[in-house]
Amino acid sequence: MIPIEVYLVFAAILFAIGAYGVVVKNNTIVVLMCIELMLNAANINFIVFSAFTTDVLGQVFVIMSISVAAAEVAVGIAILLNAYKVKNTIEADSLASMRW
Amino acid sequence: MFVEYTWLVPLVPMLCFVIVGAFGKKMPEGGGPVAIFGALFAFVMSVLISYEFFTSAAYSDPGFITAQIAWFSIGDFTINVGYYIDSLSCLMILFASFISMLIFIYSIGYMHGEGVKKRRYYAEVSLFLTGMLGLAVSSNFLEMFVFWEAMGLCSYLLIGFWGFTHPNGDDAADNAASAAKKAFLVTRLGDVCLMGGLFVLLYAFGSLDYVTVFDTAAMAAVDPNMIMLASLLIFGGVIGKSAQFPLLDWLPDAMAGPTTVSALIHAATMVKAGVYLVARCFPLFTQNPEVMLFVGLIGGITAFFAATMALNNMNIKKVLAYSTLSQLGYMFLALGAGGYMMALGIQSGDNHLIAAGAVGYTAGCLHMVNHAFFKALLFLGSGSVIHATGTEDMREMGGLHKKMKITSITMLIGSLSIAGFPLFSGFWSKELVLEAAMHAGDYGVEGYLFTIMWVLAIVTAFMTAFYMFRMWFMTFKGKPGHGTEHSHGESPKSMTAPLVVLSAFAAAIGCMILFGFDEYITIGINGAGQFQVGSGHGHGMVGWLEDIFLSAYTYLTVVLVLAAIGIAYLMYSKKSVDPGKINRNGNSLLYRALSNRWYFPQLYNRIGWGLGYGVAKGVEFVDRDVIDGTVNALSAAVVGGGESLSRVQTGNVRDYAAMVMIGVVLLFAVIVALFYFMGGA
Repeated sequence: MIPIEVYLVFAAILFAIGAYGVVVKNNTIVVLMCIELMLNAANINFIVFSAFTTDVLGQVFVIMSISVAAAEVAVGIAILLNAYKVKNTIEADSLASMRW
Repeated sequence: MFVEYTWLVPLVPMLCFVIVGAFGKKMPEGGGPVAIFGALFAFVMSVLISYEFFTSAAYSDPGFITAQIAWFSIGDFTINVGYYIDSLSCLMILFASFISMLIFIYSIGYMHGEGVKKRRYYAEVSLFLTGMLGLAVSSNFLEMFVFWEAMGLCSYLLIGFWGFTHPNGDDAADNAASAAKKAFLVTRLGDVCLMGGLFVLLYAFGSLDYVTVFDTAAMAAVDPNMIMLASLLIFGGVIGKSAQFPLLDWLPDAMAGPTTVSALIHAATMVKAGVYLVARCFPLFTQNPEVMLFVGLIGGITAFFAATMALNNMNIKKVLAYSTLSQLGYMFLALGAGGYMMALGIQSGDNHLIAAGAVGYTAGCLHMVNHAFFKALLFLGSGSVIHATGTEDMREMGGLHKKMKITSITMLIGSLSIAGFPLFSGFWSKELVLEAAMHAGDYGVEGYLFTIMWVLAIVTAFMTAFYMFRMWFMTFKGKPGHGTEHSHGESPKSMTAPLVVLSAFAAAIGCMILFGFDEYITIGINGAGQFQVGSGHGHGMVGWLEDIFLSAYTYLTVVLVLAAIGIAYLMYSKKSVDPGKINRNGNSLLYRALSNRWYFPQLYNRIGWGLGYGVAKGVEFVDRDVIDGTVNALSAAVVGGGESLSRVQTGNVRDYAAMVMIGVVLLFAVIVALFYFMGGA
């Protein structure tokens, strides 16, 4: 049996990649995708702990998290679409009108 | 029955103040009738209280009725609030409320043209009356001080009544505003002394109640130097309030207010509070003859100097103002001389001397009452003249007798009374004052000072008669002046009626002394060894008549008074003697010194600038650079910090995300570190 640490390290790496992308990437579509990566890293943790403790509650949370993520992406993409219509770009650096 | 409701005496005028202040705009005459009702109520109540007190057993023993409740406590000190009724309080509330009532009635006519400002006027005079009545019935020094200060405030407000818009233009308005400030600040100087005196009393006696402080045993137990210090400080307050020698300059300036206010300040309230306080503190002051000597000296000097300043003044109100100062000086001279003898009597146990001192007390109080009536009359009369002619300069009057018969005759009665013409009110009290001063000269080491004061007082009596009749002749006799030609005749009935009533009192009230006044208003030491006001043995009518008319000095003053009236007649009515020759047409050194009030205002300014300006500069530096500097630096640091921190808001989403990440990592690190160092699982 594969030890639990492997899963956890894998999820941590996945989360770190997502976080890195959110901070560094200029393209907001990629940023959304990176957020998705982070969510999935969390989902993996849920599943792993659920499986190792034989508690099904973790899986329930994952289902819920996936549906929330889907809704979130829908809203995110809708915002980006509108931003593109107004500003003609979806680059994060260009969408900085809320500054001091 | 009524004495228990003494608190209503100041309370009802206070309510009138609130009502007129709040709703006066909608009332007829700006709420004047309400103010009159307040004064009338206070007067009726005073009569009832006095009647009940004088017929009660408490009048002869212990000589007062008092009741109080605890107001607040600080540590071991309990301050009470309540009333204290004795002969002196009764006298004060009687004449203060009666004269105020007449002045308020007169105001209806005099202030008729003031429009919406009448509300302010009637509210403030009601409060003024509250101050005086409250002061007279207070049962302890702190309560008295509160009312004392209320009067100071009202005097400021009323003297500056025309401080914004004056009927005579902006210069007069500025003048009124600065006169109000002067009155407030100068009396403040005295009030600080008075407050210091109260602190000393509280420290020495542990209480401010009259009953405790004036207790003979309590006073004997206290260090005499403390009593002396307290007495002098309290008298400092009196000097400010009653405008005595060093602080006398505010009262002539206070003429900038309406004439009715002058009448109120000079006759019924304010300056009389000082006389009352000295009379009230008699037990305390008589512990040291030096204190009473000081009181007498200040009084005598003021009486003389103020009278000289009135000799050549051309402003009808200013002449009256100086005469008030001078007459107040008489009262303090009488109280001081009487107190001096009494103090010596107490020290040596000489009952005869104590009784002689009581005459001075009676003389001071009688002169206070007389002065209240004739000065109210004279001020209201001058107000009537000013109302008709529109000027205060006596050179523009003259010949008004034909146009204003009632005003002229009532003012003649007032002038005769203040001048001390035989058998008029002023005559009796002035003779008593002079007698007290003369007797005091015979006793003690410093007694000769009272002899000097007596000489000054006699000269003052001469000057008083001269300047009063100079005023009367210049105003009502002689050639009609510019103002007379434009005058519109006699004033309305609401103004002349109070004049007539007051003139009756001004002529006759002094005869009280023949009908047992000295039994009621006297001070002595009763069987229990305590000071007691009232219940004395009066000289009786025959006693006084013998006392006054068998003395050669009485005839000396009478002759001087008649001579002064004669000189005034020759100079200003018949014009057979030209005053211009005597003063070299106003260029002689003395004349100029007199019209510049002996250069007192300049002296004040010099001291004010030299002392006040330096202190003010220092204070300004501390305020502007130290206090404001600290506050400004603090606010600048906050503003600057906020400004630079706001740069963090770049609007770039990735920066925010990065910050969140860094925050999470830091939080994590802190938690790990905590667990590591705390040795957690």
